[in-house]
Parts: sequence; C-alpha cells; structure tokens
Amino acid sequence: MRDLARIAVEEALRLGASQADARVERVLVEELLVRNGELAMAQTREEFGLGISARLSGGQGFSAVPLQGRADREAALAAARKAVQAARELAPTCSSPRPFAPEPGHRGEFRTPLVIDPFRVPLAQKVEHLRAAEGSLAGRPEVVNREAALSLRREERWHVSSEGLDVHQDLLRTGAGIAATAVDAGQCERRSYPASFGGDFAGRGYEHVLEMDLAAHGPRVRDEAIALCRAPQCPGGVRDLILMGNQLMLQIHESVGHPTELDRALGAERDLAGGSFATPDQLGRLRYGSELVNLVCDSTAAGGLDTRGWDDEGVASGRWPIVERGLFVGYHTNRALCERIGEARSRGAARAESWYHPAIIRITNLSLMPGDWSLERLIADTEDGVVCDTVKTWSIDQQRVNFQFTTEAGWEIKQGKRTRLLRSPTYQGRTLDFWNSCDAICDASHWRLWGVPNCGKGNPMQVAEMSHGASPARFRRVLFVT
Amino acid sequence: MGLCSRERALELSLALARESTALETEVTFEHGVERFARFAAEGATQSADRERFEIAVRVRLDDVEGLREARATVSGSTLEAGRAALARAMELARYSPPNRALVPLGGPVEVPRTLAEPSTLAHSFADKSRWIARALELCLPHFEPAGLLQSSALAKAIVNSRGRAVYGQTGRFAASLTVSGGGGSGMAQASAARPELVDHERLFESARRTAEQSRDPRPLEPAEYTVVLEPLAVSSILLFAAYQGFGAREVEEQSSFLCGREGRRLWSERFTLTDDPDHPAMPALAFDGEGTPKRRRVLVDRGTPTGPVTDRHFAARRGEESSGHALAQPSSSGPMPLNLVVSPGQGTLAELISGVERGLLVKQFHYTNAIDPKELLLTGMTRNGTFWIEDGRVKFPVRNLRFTQSLVEALANLRAVGAGGEAAGALFDGEIVTPPLVVDRFRFTSSTDF
Repeated sequence: MRDLARIAVEEALRLGASQADARVERVLVEELLVRNGELAMAQTREEFGLGISARLSGGQGFSAVPLQGRADREAALAAARKAVQAARELAPTCSSPRPFAPEPGHRGEFRTPLVIDPFRVPLAQKVEHLRAAEGSLAGRPEVVNREAALSLRREERWHVSSEGLDVHQDLLRTGAGIAATAVDAGQCERRSYPASFGGDFAGRGYEHVLEMDLAAHGPRVRDEAIALCRAPQCPGGVRDLILMGNQLMLQIHESVGHPTELDRALGAERDLAGGSFATPDQLGRLRYGSELVNLVCDSTAAGGLDTRGWDDEGVASGRWPIVERGLFVGYHTNRALCERIGEARSRGAARAESWYHPAIIRITNLSLMPGDWSLERLIADTEDGVVCDTVKTWSIDQQRVNFQFTTEAGWEIKQGKRTRLLRSPTYQGRTLDFWNSCDAICDASHWRLWGVPNCGKGNPMQVAEMSHGASPARFRRVLFVT
Repeated sequence: MGLCSRERALELSLALARESTALETEVTFEHGVERFARFAAEGATQSADRERFEIAVRVRLDDVEGLREARATVSGSTLEAGRAALARAMELARYSPPNRALVPLGGPVEVPRTLAEPSTLAHSFADKSRWIARALELCLPHFEPAGLLQSSALAKAIVNSRGRAVYGQTGRFAASLTVSGGGGSGMAQASAARPELVDHERLFESARRTAEQSRDPRPLEPAEYTVVLEPLAVSSILLFAAYQGFGAREVEEQSSFLCGREGRRLWSERFTLTDDPDHPAMPALAFDGEGTPKRRRVLVDRGTPTGPVTDRHFAARRGEESSGHALAQPSSSGPMPLNLVVSPGQGTLAELISGVERGLLVKQFHYTNAIDPKELLLTGMTRNGTFWIEDGRVKFPVRNLRFTQSLVEALANLRAVGAGGEAAGALFDGEIVTPPLVVDRFRFTSSTDF
C-alpha cells in the first residue's frame, strides 16, 4: 500500500511540488442497532482510498481518489496531478504563504492496543449481546423506544511524505450504549447509559463493550426515563453545580477544546465554526480557570479516541498542557500555523476524517486532571446545588464564550444531601467565569476517559473523534434557566 | 469533473442485483465529485479536488419468523467491488435475527431525469482563484475575509430485485463569505445549480457592508423582542422541525411537536411550508433513499400541519403510500423532509423592518440546538449582525444574544412573511428556501460582550 502513496508523492514532486504527503487508507465500519426487539440496523462500510496534499509556490492542493485495488497506480498518479494543479491554480491568491514547520521523517508502526478484536467476535454473539441489553429496558408500557447500539471502526493507513515520513497505523475504536425513551404525564424523556448519542466510545477492543455491562444497567435507565417524565422541571436560579464526567467531558470539549484550536484563534475557521476568545496575545497571561484547573492534551493516552502514533501531517503524538493551574498556556497546533505563536514544531493536532478529507486542526484527547475530593464528600459539602448527568443538548457562541447546556437528568442537593430527581436541568454561563468558579474536583478513583465520536468542524464539515478525561467537579454559583 | 452515466450506473447495479441469491436485493450506486477552496486574508488556505464511488447492497433473506436484513457498503465502481459488498451483506444477513416489521421493497417507478449542470462540473480552481482575488480586494486591508467556494455533483442509481431502477444527477455551486473587522462581522452565502446564478459581487459586498454596519455594537438587555429574521436565521430554527418533528418516526414515538396537533390550526394563515424537491433554488435528486419518487408535499397549509412525511416502513404502518422521504435504508433515523420551502408573503426586507416599532433585525443564528423536541424548544446565539430597530428603521448594532424559544410558540407569534425567498443553510448542514419572517415576543435569555 505504501508504494501507491510513494508513487503519488513522487509524481507530485516531479510536477513541481515543493512538499507532498500521501495517505492510503482502508476504513472498515460496522454498525448494529437493536430497537424495540428488532435488529433495526446491521450494516458495514468499507472504504479504500488515497488522499494527497501538495505544496507549491505558497499554494496548497489536496486530492482524494478511491482505489480499485492494491495496484491502482493510475488513480495515485491522477490524484497527484490534481493536487498539484489545485495548488498551482490557487497559488496566485496567496500573498503571505504559510511556512510549513519542519518535521523529521518518522518511520514506524502503531496499533491500537486491544484485548479482543471486535471484528473477530462472531456477529451472532454481538447481536445477542445487544438484544439482551435492549431487552433489559423492557417491561414498562411508558417506554416507547428502546435501543441498544454497537459501532466499530478500524482505520488502517500508510502515510508517506517527501520528507521521509513512512508510517503505518492500525487504529481501532469501539462504542456501545443503551437508551430508553419514555412518554408519560405529557412529557417525553430519554435516558442513556453510559453516555448519550450512541453510548461511550474508546480506542479499545470489544472488552470496552463487555465492561459496560449494559444489561445490568437497563432497568435503572428505563425507570429513570419514566421518572423523569413525572419529575419537576429543574427550577431556575443561581446555585452550585456538580457535573458528572459524562457531561463534564462535553463542557471541556466545547469551552476549552475548540477555543484552543489555533486555526480558530487566528480566524481561519470564521467562515463556519467561528473564532475564539482565547487569542494568541493572551497565551501565558489569561486566567482561564481557578488554581485547581489543569487541562492536558495527550494523544498517547491509553484508550483515547485520538490515541495514535502520528497525526495526519506526520507529527509524533505527545502530551502538553493547555491550562496549567488555571493559566492559559497552550494550543492545539499544526505545521502551517505553529510558527504564528512562536513554536518551531507542531503539537501534532492535524487530522482528517479519512483519506477523502484534508487534515485540519482538531482537538485531541484533552482532559481535566483529577483533584482530591470523593464524590460523597463533595455532595456533603454542597448546601444548595444540582448534580447534572449525561449530555442532552448544548449550544455555544462562535467565540466560545456564552454557553448553555441541558443534561438528561439532575438531582437536587440540599444541605449536603442528594434529594429529588429534576427534569432537563439547563445551565448557562460564560467560559472564563465558569472555569474560574471551579472549586473542587474529584480524585483519580472517579476519573475516566469519555469518548466524543461526533465532533464536526471544517467547511465542508468533517467529523473527528477524541476523548476527554474527567472526574466529577463542582462549579459555584451557576445560573440555571428554565 | 465528469459523472458516471445513467447507462453505466444502471448496468453495473442491475448486474449486481441479478447475481444476488437473496429473496430481495437493493443496490445503490453513487459517484460524487467535488472541488472546493477555502480562503482567508492570506489567500487560499485549503482546497480539495476529490471523487468517491460507493456501492451499497441491501439484502433480505427469507425466514419463517420474518426477514433477515443487512446492508454493506464499499468504495468502488466495479462489479468486483460490488460483489464484495454483496458477499458481506449476505454474511451479515445470515447472522441477523429475523425481523417481522419489514415491508417488501418497492416496484417499478418512473422518475424525472435530472442532470448536473456542465458549468458546475467545469468550475476550476483557476475560476475559484479569480473569485477569491475579488473577495480579498473588496475586504483588505480593513476587514478579514474567510470563505468557501464549492462545486459538487452527484450521480446516483438505485435498483432492486422487484424491478425498481432509477438514476439521477444533481449539482450545486455554493459560495460563502464571512467578513470581520473593528468588532463587526457580516456573512453572506448563496447556492444554486450553476455558478452563473450566483452573483458573487453582490454577495461579497453584502457581507462586507454588514461587517461595516455591525461595528461597535451596543449592549442590550435580554428580553422578549419582535424580531425580523433574515433567511439564514430562519433556516437555523426551521430545520429543527425537519430533523425532529415532521418525520413519521418521531410522531410514532410521540416525541414530535405534531403529536395531537395534526390537522389543527396552530399558526397564522400566513405560514405555509412545503417540501418541494423541484424548487429551482435547491437542486435535488427526484427520488429518495429507497428509490421512491419524491413528491411536492405541503407540510403546513396556511397554519395547519397536515401530517408527517414517511418512508415505505412508516407509510405501511400508517396505511398510506410512501411520501418519498426515506433516507438510505436501514437507517437509525426515520424519514425527514430535506427540501423545505416557506411560501412567500408580501413585502421586502425594508418594508418588513418599517412595520416594526421596536425590535431586532437578526441576520443569522449560530449553534442552534433543541432542548425539548415536543415543543421544539430551541436555543442558539445571534451571529454576524444583530441590529436594533426603532420606529421602523435600523438604528444601531447590538451585541450578540442567546435565545431560548419554542418554535411552535414562535410560529404562533408570526406577524409577517416577506416576499421572495432564497436558499439558506445552517451550521449542521441542510438548506431551506425562505423569505424573511417577522415574529413577535421572541425570547432572548442572555447576552455576550461582542
């Protein structure tokens, strides 16, 4: 496979490119969905294609073609020609070409560590597992929809460049979850486990599914969905907020991850996704959060959805801080933009959805480091608050300042005791005020990675996956709205 | 760029369907081509010239307890690639438990022939380069541009073992420009079947003018205001009715706002909403994901919702004919309308504004999302130009605001529907054709400093 990538790179150089890199990728996806007792979806998707990026006279071109086989030399050559032509025709518009930060030509292999290869687990066994999980949601007439889902993705890629890069990666991710929708008392409520939007995803094997023990959680999920229909709406007002990990991960993603993508901060994503309040002049100066807040990127984290050997510009994975003791200290960068903040090397955050997409800056595995509280002590220490669990919906402005999140469920805390269930708790805030109000983070025993399999960015939009580690944390005096 | 011909696409798909030993087989063949260039102040920042082929095979195996169904997709354009998909689908189906709820695949149908426009297929990077140069010339040095130029086309064939064989092409040219500077920002976008229909001078000028006019915005207390919503703002909220309300699955699951409201007059008689696959401003294929011909369908008739859209499965459950709104099957989502058109009313944008004593002109909403699907309770932010209106005139720009508002309630408070209509998109994909709307008592719940 790497020969096809090499052929494309050599052709691009022959046609005048000053730099080129090509990825040959084979992608295999399997999706199963059991809904209301039936196998509602059983499908696989397999893609095999080549994407090449070429630079020439300040212009940049990318081309992607499907490959008809291992020997599809003509397609590789055609892709190279198209990428060079795009770069050449667009070059006249480029007044101040972006320098492409140098990177050693890495060579090597990376495979997602796994215990059980999910593609080797017999289909019947996977379907049976989902049917048992979905069946555990049955038994109450108020439940109008029961779902158990499994999603697998394997991405094998060969990546070479004109700078000597020659790497092979075999990346795998596994996701699963259950959800029940209940209708009662004029309300329609959904409850999910372990997370919403298809469940929880990780860069692991089938062991990730087995460890979820979906069927054991079904009755609770079902009963909570029904109880939510009859629960009071979470009242508005200012009170303390405790976010569980499966909600805090999205808070991290939206209000720390996206604002610290350097392309957004420099205005290059204003055409769709937006910009960022965290501009480069604030680096090392901005008080992003309280002293307790440490947010760290780690594209080597075990089980992360963005855990790999190298990014899609051939930069080796690593770990670096974004917020250190509350201070804004780092960005997600790529090779074209890192120089704009005075960094000679990219952090390795350039990724493409697949062979069909050019690489753009993406959030990697970004986590809030644990503190030293237990959840029990945290609740006992809270006079008037709400514990919020599982993403329901969210919205944030184009500069990533004003946000509003709603969770599936909330529990009121009064005088240190968790009391009644609350429907649709919705909290609003501003990013810096919010992170500066963080006064307690639970310890490592509560900490785990949560997967985000559906992050959209770019124009045209492409999807990326990453994980965020979090343990429950408390934020003081947050505004709840109805 | 060129697209796979009708003859080749159907020949390949039929050959593959004939090789299947399944009780029922459906083959979907797609060939997509696209060229896009993104740009910012320093010129073109990203581009792609890309092509994809996809063959999807859906098979159904007979079983005493029902049908075993599965689908497999491969990237490729040859019979050999298709055979790999067929083999994988057969294997998957054998292990799938039988499903009694499946309805038979649809039989032969006639669909109108649609073709992608040659000028869209031919739009080169050199052409895009000239448009980019013009945008930079209009914006620099006082404003920062960020934009996209995109030409794309799709050929698609669906055949099945019950004799259905449809083919169509669609093409789209889209241009957008966001302009920022001095605390102001403006955005304009346009899409059409071919580039000649997009007036890029007018588009670029419009974005720049809004950026100029929205400089130095003043703070405004969040409250209920009358709003004049331009098409980009309307699309961002109305598309949620398509995603979460007008489909038969949501109705069956009782999560749709339509539940208990079908056939009841809910809104002003001024509001009529149609799903129209033939609308010239929104090029589309003439058939849905099951190969059923798409038909123009009125979803809201002068304020009264008429009922949900269906695919074959949900149509059978409702005792109706499919309305032609299936996604590719099987799907985790139900049927949905993808070609929404708001019927025009009367009055230009200026005339609509002149009828507002105190209120807001909203150019665009950003990151809208649904809190409660049953009432279509939505939240989102204003973006790229929000202006205070007083005594029928735009007075000054205001800082961005967050709204939290039920769409069901907003349409009940609809005061006016403007004339004309233009295609407008939203952050999470999708497009509608709409004129501007005037809505009373639109609820804003918080603000920002910009």
